[in-house]
Amino acid sequence: MTAPIRHRPLFVSLVALTLLLGSFAATGRGVATAADTPRRGGVLLAVIGADPPSLDPHQESTFANIELVAPLYSTLLQLDPYDYPKIIGDLATEWKISSDGLTYTFKIHPGVKFHDGSPLTSADVKASYNKIIFPPQGVRSVRQNAYTAVAQVEAPDPATVVFKLKFPSASLLANLASPWNVIFPKSYLDRDPNYFKTHAIGSGPFKFKGYTRGSTFEGERNPAYFVKDRPYLDGYKFYISPETSVRAAAIRSGRAYIEFRDLPSAEVEAIKKQLGDKITVQETAMTGQWGIAINNTKKPFDDVRVRKALSLGIDRYTMARVLYPLTGLRYVGGLMRPGSEWALPAPELEKLPGFGRDIEKNRAEARKLLAEAGYPNGLKVVLKNRNVKLPYQDFAVFLIGEWRKIGIEAEHRPLETAAWFSDGQDTGNFELLVAPTVEFMDDPDQFLGRYATGSTQNWGRFSDPQVDDLFSRQARSLDPVERKRLINDLEKRVLGNAYFTTGLWWSRNLVHWSKVKNYVAPPNHYTNQKLQDVWLSED
Amino acid sequence: MRTYLAKRLLLIVPTLFGVAAVVFLIMRVIPGDVTLLILGGDQTGRIDPQQLAAMRHQLGLDQPLAVQFGTWLWGVLRLDFGTSLWTGQPVIDEVLIRLPLSLEVAILATIVSVLLAIPLGMIAAVRQDTWVDYLIRIVSIGGQAIPSFWVGILVILALVIYFGWGPPLEFTPPWVDPWANFQQLVWPVLTVGYRYAAVTTRMTRSTVLEVLREDYIRTAWAKGLRERVVVIRHALKNAMLPVITLVGTEFAFLIGGLVVTETVFTLNGVGRFVVDAVAHRDYPVVQALVFLIALCFVVVNLLIDLTYAWLDPRIRYH
Repeated sequence: MTAPIRHRPLFVSLVALTLLLGSFAATGRGVATAADTPRRGGVLLAVIGADPPSLDPHQESTFANIELVAPLYSTLLQLDPYDYPKIIGDLATEWKISSDGLTYTFKIHPGVKFHDGSPLTSADVKASYNKIIFPPQGVRSVRQNAYTAVAQVEAPDPATVVFKLKFPSASLLANLASPWNVIFPKSYLDRDPNYFKTHAIGSGPFKFKGYTRGSTFEGERNPAYFVKDRPYLDGYKFYISPETSVRAAAIRSGRAYIEFRDLPSAEVEAIKKQLGDKITVQETAMTGQWGIAINNTKKPFDDVRVRKALSLGIDRYTMARVLYPLTGLRYVGGLMRPGSEWALPAPELEKLPGFGRDIEKNRAEARKLLAEAGYPNGLKVVLKNRNVKLPYQDFAVFLIGEWRKIGIEAEHRPLETAAWFSDGQDTGNFELLVAPTVEFMDDPDQFLGRYATGSTQNWGRFSDPQVDDLFSRQARSLDPVERKRLINDLEKRVLGNAYFTTGLWWSRNLVHWSKVKNYVAPPNHYTNQKLQDVWLSED
Repeated sequence: MRTYLAKRLLLIVPTLFGVAAVVFLIMRVIPGDVTLLILGGDQTGRIDPQQLAAMRHQLGLDQPLAVQFGTWLWGVLRLDFGTSLWTGQPVIDEVLIRLPLSLEVAILATIVSVLLAIPLGMIAAVRQDTWVDYLIRIVSIGGQAIPSFWVGILVILALVIYFGWGPPLEFTPPWVDPWANFQQLVWPVLTVGYRYAAVTTRMTRSTVLEVLREDYIRTAWAKGLRERVVVIRHALKNAMLPVITLVGTEFAFLIGGLVVTETVFTLNGVGRFVVDAVAHRDYPVVQALVFLIALCFVVVNLLIDLTYAWLDPRIRYH
């Protein structure tokens, strides 16, 4: 009676095992062989951690948008894929800046066509930038404030675009090289300025092929691409998975060849150990830092002594050693990326509260300041955070341990992204909040605008006319030496008063199969995503 | 019976209305604003209050709550669940992309769990307190104690580390490529199936043990019937009522409840979609999905109750 019953699970297992072994044989992958001559063909398989909120890069600011759609579009200028942060043309073949710095004239590459076959002219560039700088009602433009200097955009003839400025802008060229400012066909924008939230028609090296939310995003080679003999790939395909270990496993198994954003060092080491030279890891700095927004409107954080104590209590140098292997948070720095041309020199940085290397001295001063502010026995605070493990929560856990050493007991309160955003940006319902800053390049306007009075990114809600003045002057300063001095002064003012305090600057492990050729990782995951020069040495 | 069926069908209406109202209110009470999320993007955002107001108006979120709820309910009556606030796509289209996968996993995992659980539970009962029983109990307790997503991660890591192979990352429907479909779904189906088999095995064992102690079973033995006939024909059928309840509710749960398993195995299913929609405060999507999942539960419960009557002629509904 019982024999058939006992045997059934064994039979099922044997069938599964046989099919599994068959599936291994069917998908086995060979070792990549290096070749110097670019090879045509193949589909680049990548993994990504999230879906895009929409497909329109003008309206988004997440890697989940730009990594997917950048290969579909052209921009006026771009950052050199091989030489960050050099600015080179994309659609623009040449450009001139008038002597007063108020007129920028660009010539457009002739013969460029959109994927629907229509020609790309200066009218399309003008329409796209008008959408970014002067968005119509009901259309959002998250980078609108980066173009406050622009009075108008003109298209005097089909091959010329002119930007007229109200005042000189030191960052305009950099902002015109933004990967987010893709050029859309005017005819579609005229019909519906939100059309590209759900559609993608560009003039980039790849054409949109398909998107299944939560699953895949695909592009195929654009045979009419205006750059001769590009792209090399037949197409690209992103697999979408929010789970880091799943993305790492996809790379390990060869189901995907590249993760453009970042993988934790522990995963990277495991992948390298298993796959050896089949895998390449490009370690770069990152144009992003994790800091702490201090709500300057709430007691006791309206007291500079308390704010300074918070910064003095953090041993950033030890934090960098501890957190780097876990999170990629690696470099101690001010408001501009350490190592970039605008960064505050280390000797000056170390004079600011919390950045000196003698941590015991810093802690003693922190306790003294707290006592002077009326908290000789320390105080209790709430540190709100985003409920994302890497690097948010590890970062917060370290901070809490540090603050305890100076008598500050911080309660960690991780929030869902929506609530975290709402508290930080909208309501100001927080005392301390983990607040990252990630931009597409080391541009001072992008990094420092958030410290100006009334900026929606000024989550700490402070107002210092001196900071506002320094920001405004640096944005208009066309002399790099003078601009750097103003920027460094602004940094000293913000960090010296601990209106906001930085934690650590991020670094990036770009992991890919060695058969993915000709991809140079820039210090962020927003730029160099067009993939026009990337090729595969084998499928 | 017809009266009973009509009553039950009618009761579905207030049940679903209650679910819809509760979910609608909860989504509005919890902190977080979809317009801020849309305008703010990921890590940066410069939001103009006018833009914010325009976006709220565009999405209909400036309307009074009662009007918003009424509008949504009127849409549901016309089988129009609205459009996603996040993607602008019709909610029903988004659901239909994911439903086949979730249904396939739910059906196959339920089949696996039933195929494992009923024989194992029965054997454990018949061989009570022998090593066979102990082994089955250890396996089933293990299945209940170990989360299936953890088993899933271990399975994937083992496959990747020892065989350099991972399951496909994209769902292929069985009618397009059965082999690719099998390669992707075999592991989640087995891990989830094992988890639910563990629960059902224990239930089957308990109920069969109970039935085996009944007088009519003793009579059957006394009549000299073979073990197979006594256990399968007389004991098992009567022991199945609570097991069917369990299997049915498990099935309904599996359609929308496999969030972590779907994440681990990169399955673009309904469970992940619900969580994603909650995180993005995509109200119409959450309302529609919870509504549909509630509908599944209600229908499955009705079917379970009707199955009772079919299995046990003593049960009659009026």
